[in-house]
Amino acid sequence: MAGDKLQVTFEADGSLSAPLTLFYPYNRTLGTTVARFLSSLADKRIEGTKAQDGRVFVPPAEFDPSTGTPLTEWVQVGDEGTVVQWSWQPAPFEDNTLDQPFAWALILLDGADVPMLHAVQAKAAATMSIGMRVKAVWAEDRTPEISAIRCFEPVGG
Amino acid sequence: MGANRCAVVGVGQTNHTSVRADVSIAGLVREAVDRALEAAGMTLADIDAIVIGKAPDMLEGVMMPELWLTDALAASGKPVFRVHTAGSVGGSTAIVAAQHVMSGVHKRVLTVAFEKQSDGNAMWALSVPTPFGVPVHAGAGGYFSPIIRSYMRRSGAPAHIGAMVAVKDRTNACKNPYAHLHEPDWTLEKALETPMLWDPVRFIETCPSSDGAAALVMVSEDVADTMNVPKAWVHSTAMRSEPTMFAGRNQVSPRAGELCAEDLYRKAGITNPLEEIDVCEVYVPFSWFEPMWLENLGFAPRDHGWRFVEDGVTEMTGKLPFNPSGGVLSTNPIGASGMIRFGEAAMQVMGLAGEHQIDGARKAMGHAYGGGSQFFAMWIVGADKN
Repeated sequence: MAGDKLQVTFEADGSLSAPLTLFYPYNRTLGTTVARFLSSLADKRIEGTKAQDGRVFVPPAEFDPSTGTPLTEWVQVGDEGTVVQWSWQPAPFEDNTLDQPFAWALILLDGADVPMLHAVQAKAAATMSIGMRVKAVWAEDRTPEISAIRCFEPVGG
Repeated sequence: MGANRCAVVGVGQTNHTSVRADVSIAGLVREAVDRALEAAGMTLADIDAIVIGKAPDMLEGVMMPELWLTDALAASGKPVFRVHTAGSVGGSTAIVAAQHVMSGVHKRVLTVAFEKQSDGNAMWALSVPTPFGVPVHAGAGGYFSPIIRSYMRRSGAPAHIGAMVAVKDRTNACKNPYAHLHEPDWTLEKALETPMLWDPVRFIETCPSSDGAAALVMVSEDVADTMNVPKAWVHSTAMRSEPTMFAGRNQVSPRAGELCAEDLYRKAGITNPLEEIDVCEVYVPFSWFEPMWLENLGFAPRDHGWRFVEDGVTEMTGKLPFNPSGGVLSTNPIGASGMIRFGEAAMQVMGLAGEHQIDGARKAMGHAYGGGSQFFAMWIVGADKN
């Protein structure tokens, strides 16, 4: 930014404005709970944590949402699940993982007790429905992040 | 005053260090919280309200972290209150928590403050060049060094005073297992050979960059009286503010700090702070702020703060120990630093400071400042109820 000419806007009432672009580099540290979940995805496994009341959270909760107790019991869940709610994306943005129209969906994975948000690659909005079965499609080049699951697709095509 | 009594019954802090890559922010916060609750013999379920503080969100780039920390603090269904007063926030957060109790609104309050400096870069996150002004690219050291130079000129302090404070604090820190820096071998000669960073501030005279959190459990008198744990009674609290810059501002001894200390002593019934206070945990991120705050807080006459340092008054064996924990100069998770001062003051009167305990400490001061020396937060805690 140093040396750039100031882009001043002169307002009718005598006030002045100029743009300020903020850019700043940060790090992110996940801790061991979320890190284990994402590392497992890179190995094509989906794992969640079991809360004190027995509910399985996927993605995992680091602390029990009711009591605050650290959750350390892990449960592997299925890579298939049921759509509990969805919304159609007719025109994907450039930074969406999928370049064809798709659905954002809350998916209750088999063995989990809370749904997880992910993308469902369906042929058309008309083929989407609450209660439909979907299956994870693994990315070929997997890093420990949520996009290790490329998307979900309807079971049986 | 009409306020109800409040006691600190649990102090907890993390083992502070440069990078805590093993924990999320939530995990870091919980480490301090669990230790404070354990000391109090309580659990999260016992807590009525939570007060959380940290320095500007820009430091880690996480907006409103208090919202996603709700799970980790078991705060669902309870009031959560976020405090923000720049670097003094750890102190002002503790004060707001105490006020939750002193007002009679809550009986058992948990307060926690943190900073995960390794997730960002505190020095430059707050020095973003903005339109219409000239970027100074100075950082905190560059901001405070001219003020320190001004103090040296005004008071006639010799150049080695800053290094003396630094050697004292780094040596004290070796007695504190939670301190970030454990460097036992400093001498004044070696300290004076460290590189000059921002004239007159040398490398040893500046604080480290730390990841850490601190937490306190505070309860009302009726609850405290049923608890068989060491207690620190809150005798008084005070906060004051002033603008960063205005013509004629005394940056060496800000009026807000002087007024804050006066109010604090008056409310605690203290007429001679040097005689009546046994130990101080004072926010000294650059070593020269020790002699400056000695004067600002009314312990030393004007221009005599540096003489107290030279005479060893603030050593652990001196008349008024400053920062037996090693202070901010040895540990600086910014948002937590003020709460560490408040908690360490409490630990002294609770008799829980271990190797850095000042024998017989009955009355202690916790102090924090922030921004451009413009926010002040202080408390006096005692072993006795009054």
